Amino acid sequence: MSYLQRETPVLAELCTFLVEDLYGELAARVFSILARDGRQTLAAIVRASYLNGRQIKHGLAVLIQQHLLFHSASDSQLNYYEIDWQQSYALVRYGKMLRLVENRFGKKAANVVSNLVTLGHTRLVDLKDAYFPHPDPADREESKGGQTNGTRPDKRNASAERVNGTATQTDVAVNGSATKTNGTANNIPSELHGANGAKANGAPDGGDAVEGVESQDEQGSIIQSMDELYAIIYHLMQQGWIMKVEGTQYLSPGDLHEMARKAVVDEGYGGNNPTGNKDKDQLAALILQRKRYIRDEWSTVPKFPTRKRQALESDYGRATKRLKVSSANEWSSSRDDVAILDAGYANGQNAHSDLVIRVNPEKVAVGMRTEQLADLVEQRLGATTAQIYRVMLYSLEKNVSRCFEEWPDRINPDPDAGIDASIDHRLLVTARDVAKQIDRSIDLFEGLDPHAVMQVIRKGHVDKHNCLTLATDPYNISLDDRTKIIDKHIQLLSDDPFHFVTWHSRDGYSQWRVEFEEITKAIIQQQIENTIAGRKGALGVKLIRALKKKGKLDERQTCNTMMMSAQELRGFVNDMTVQGLIQTQEVPRVERREAKHSMHLIWYDRQRAREKLLHDAYKSMIRILQRIASERGKVQELLAKAARTDVVGNEEKWLSRRELAGLRQWKELHETLLLQLFREDDLVASLRDFIGPLISP
Amino acid sequence: MASALVAASPPAPPPKDDDVPAEVSLIDLLYDKCAQAPEGTVFFQRELSNMQVANTMTELTSLLQELCDRHLMKLMTFDNEPCWKLRSKTEAEKMRRLTPDERLLYHHIDQVQSEGIWSKALRARTNVTQQVLTKCLKSLESKDLVKSVMSVKFPNRKMYLLKHLRPSEDIAGGPWQSDGEFDSGLIAIISGLVAQHVEQETCIRVPGNWNNYVPEDRTAAIAQKKAQVQAVPDIEDVLPTKSFRPPKSGNTSRLVHRHKPKYPTAASISTWITDKQVLRDKEVREDDMEQLLEMMVLDGRLEKISGNNYRTTLTTTDEPVFNGFVDAPCGTCPVFDLCGDEGDICARTCVYFDEWLGSEE
Repeated sequence: MSYLQRETPVLAELCTFLVEDLYGELAARVFSILARDGRQTLAAIVRASYLNGRQIKHGLAVLIQQHLLFHSASDSQLNYYEIDWQQSYALVRYGKMLRLVENRFGKKAANVVSNLVTLGHTRLVDLKDAYFPHPDPADREESKGGQTNGTRPDKRNASAERVNGTATQTDVAVNGSATKTNGTANNIPSELHGANGAKANGAPDGGDAVEGVESQDEQGSIIQSMDELYAIIYHLMQQGWIMKVEGTQYLSPGDLHEMARKAVVDEGYGGNNPTGNKDKDQLAALILQRKRYIRDEWSTVPKFPTRKRQALESDYGRATKRLKVSSANEWSSSRDDVAILDAGYANGQNAHSDLVIRVNPEKVAVGMRTEQLADLVEQRLGATTAQIYRVMLYSLEKNVSRCFEEWPDRINPDPDAGIDASIDHRLLVTARDVAKQIDRSIDLFEGLDPHAVMQVIRKGHVDKHNCLTLATDPYNISLDDRTKIIDKHIQLLSDDPFHFVTWHSRDGYSQWRVEFEEITKAIIQQQIENTIAGRKGALGVKLIRALKKKGKLDERQTCNTMMMSAQELRGFVNDMTVQGLIQTQEVPRVERREAKHSMHLIWYDRQRAREKLLHDAYKSMIRILQRIASERGKVQELLAKAARTDVVGNEEKWLSRRELAGLRQWKELHETLLLQLFREDDLVASLRDFIGPLISP
Repeated sequence: MASALVAASPPAPPPKDDDVPAEVSLIDLLYDKCAQAPEGTVFFQRELSNMQVANTMTELTSLLQELCDRHLMKLMTFDNEPCWKLRSKTEAEKMRRLTPDERLLYHHIDQVQSEGIWSKALRARTNVTQQVLTKCLKSLESKDLVKSVMSVKFPNRKMYLLKHLRPSEDIAGGPWQSDGEFDSGLIAIISGLVAQHVEQETCIRVPGNWNNYVPEDRTAAIAQKKAQVQAVPDIEDVLPTKSFRPPKSGNTSRLVHRHKPKYPTAASISTWITDKQVLRDKEVREDDMEQLLEMMVLDGRLEKISGNNYRTTLTTTDEPVFNGFVDAPCGTCPVFDLCGDEGDICARTCVYFDEWLGSEE
């Protein structure tokens, strides 16, 4: 994370706020010392603060548990502590992270991730204990059969689970034939289903019905059995959202580099540093390779048995409200594992109970990228096309472990890399894949030219008002036609100047790939343009685009490109120069360097503008957090009263009307500010996390 | 052309006073006859002799010499053959009042015609001193014989050309410029027309109810019927939920990209605009149109796709979409750089936040 580590005091301040918000004052104090003075030992921290060693150790423990600190390898006598800026900033993303997981894998998975986030990292067995507090060995024996779930202490719930299990089964069957229009209803039992059930069942006449409602409700977010828990974790690990915790993760980038270098030198060069340029280059490449190897090792999935029943699996395979992931190919790979390991379930479980896991931050960035791309498509091409694009990106996500390679093989670029990457079939999507996976309740005709639709359905014709003469059901169309319609949407995606998808081959139905690198560069440019549009209006954006297209320009050339007079422009150029969005340069034409005889050029550097904007965004986030703090200070007394144990839950009873109004107002205010904070985080992600530094324009 | 001239000449010359010298009247006669030809006609010797004003070639030569001396005619050469061009009498009058230096400069400026000549080049050609040059040019300008134009290519060069000529595109810029400045009114109108044209070519307006399909919701219907019959609803018959879709109605129409459009190019649009004849006495070449289109791309009205094809930029919302930073008060804050953790300007006392949160007191 070398590039991302180069940071400013602005980020330090922001992260200190975040740490204080989440982990309290002690942790924040320790954090701020490290932020101020950088990498240092425990003794140095003690010296730099008024806290005693014991307090500091407590603070450090919290920070380390949350992966906010690096600490150097154990082989050295002194332990150095250093802030992991990336992870510290990511504190602001926790909510978003849960939403991403929920959209993909459902509520239960989000629940697991939420626990992981709260705990920082955790041993598998601890997580299990958190869910099922009193494991009873006898019951576990029983649960091996998979019939009942004895680990639940609450017998009533256990029976509810059993009821639930059968209910789901029939539900699937019923759903398949009856609810054609709503293929996903069954996969989103969470809020909608539950709420509806509860409402419909306003006057339950029997205990059975009550249990039914409960199970419907709980099915959403409560994990019923250990099997299920392990299944979720296993699935999330396979998908790359959860990874192992290893000692090397606690090494700072410098330490990690040193370690990799040492290992490479020991192995390849017999412990002697190589001399000569060629060897040095090779060494550098080998070090990067080693680092990649170490990192990739973190996210390998250990073979541990989880699945007992196929039915359960498919529950997680098809995840979201919006989307059905075809579960067939996903599970086929793991099926034999399951078969083999099914027998040794108990052993396997014991062997892996010590496994320590955490959320993979790189995957979160991938998920955020997907959402932002889909949002952008929605702005440009409409909701349906965006949905199709989202499905395409979801299906790629599993095989995209990070947004960009931080340690690329620069010295020895693989000559086949271009072809190789395109050959990688895991990064290709076809319209047919999308057609199989997409939610059936989406009107696929939306956003298309009626003529294009006509070409596919071949019924009736398009009249002069561009209406179909023969209304057609957009939901019940054959798979072939759906594929063709989706192909039209994909065509729109590829025609767009952003080139959201790129045609790859005719294999099967057209195969498409997504050139993330180019798109994310365009997104950065767009975010910069959006910012300028907000600040300076359309003219500023025009100037930036002109400079981006033409490079360095003097005043006359600028006027020519933008077709306007110099007077109109000068004010803008000055303002934007002051804001650091464009650069100026003076090139003398005569020896005496007179200003009159010099060329005055202006130009635009995307990387600089990006860094400036990132800096401003951080600063703006600090201001929001400060504002939240000051607003909270205003209603401090009220909040304290509302937080009293006797008041919680009985607000109506103990608080006056004015106090209630105040409380509501504060909540609204708080939400507005937080929402804005998260939106700024989106900006930060698109500027910072999707691609490394843009060195050449 | 000569025969045409003869045919066009009046049947009888106007009667002359006897006391006027014969030669003078002949000069006038020749001048008048030439003046009847369209303006700017170039006369060759045989055409002039065909006018039958002079009896002999020597007489004609002396007549022409006299005319040239009076600046009523301008001697030129074409393919090593002498030829003449007429000047108006007022112009000739002005010419007669010039000093020799001025005349020299005038001659050189005249030669370059609409291309114009840079003052420095003029000086190099005529070898006059800077003072004389400045003085003469000033007096020529004051006599309305020449004018100076700023070159578009070299903005700090003054180009001189005859007063009545229109500067060529090289120095005055293309159709979008007038007097060396971009004509923003013209550009706005033409780009509006072009945008409309491109939209027609590449987009299609689809009414909200273009596919007038009303989904018959069987499941919902069954569930409702059942509920009616049973009075107590069954939980398995919960109404199926649908993913959110923006409501559509017949009134709202939407622009979408045309299926397999013919994307216009600079060439096709410039032909179209020429056919439309919206631009009077200005010619829009492909290059000019490309300049305009590129500018519109920068404006965000068009977008360029593959090579030199253009299409309209469409967004699904009319409201501009910014980002989280600009929408927050800090993004557009005029004192953002001065804002600190503490002090006069800080988040706690920020009036912009107050305004934004609507909590002004």
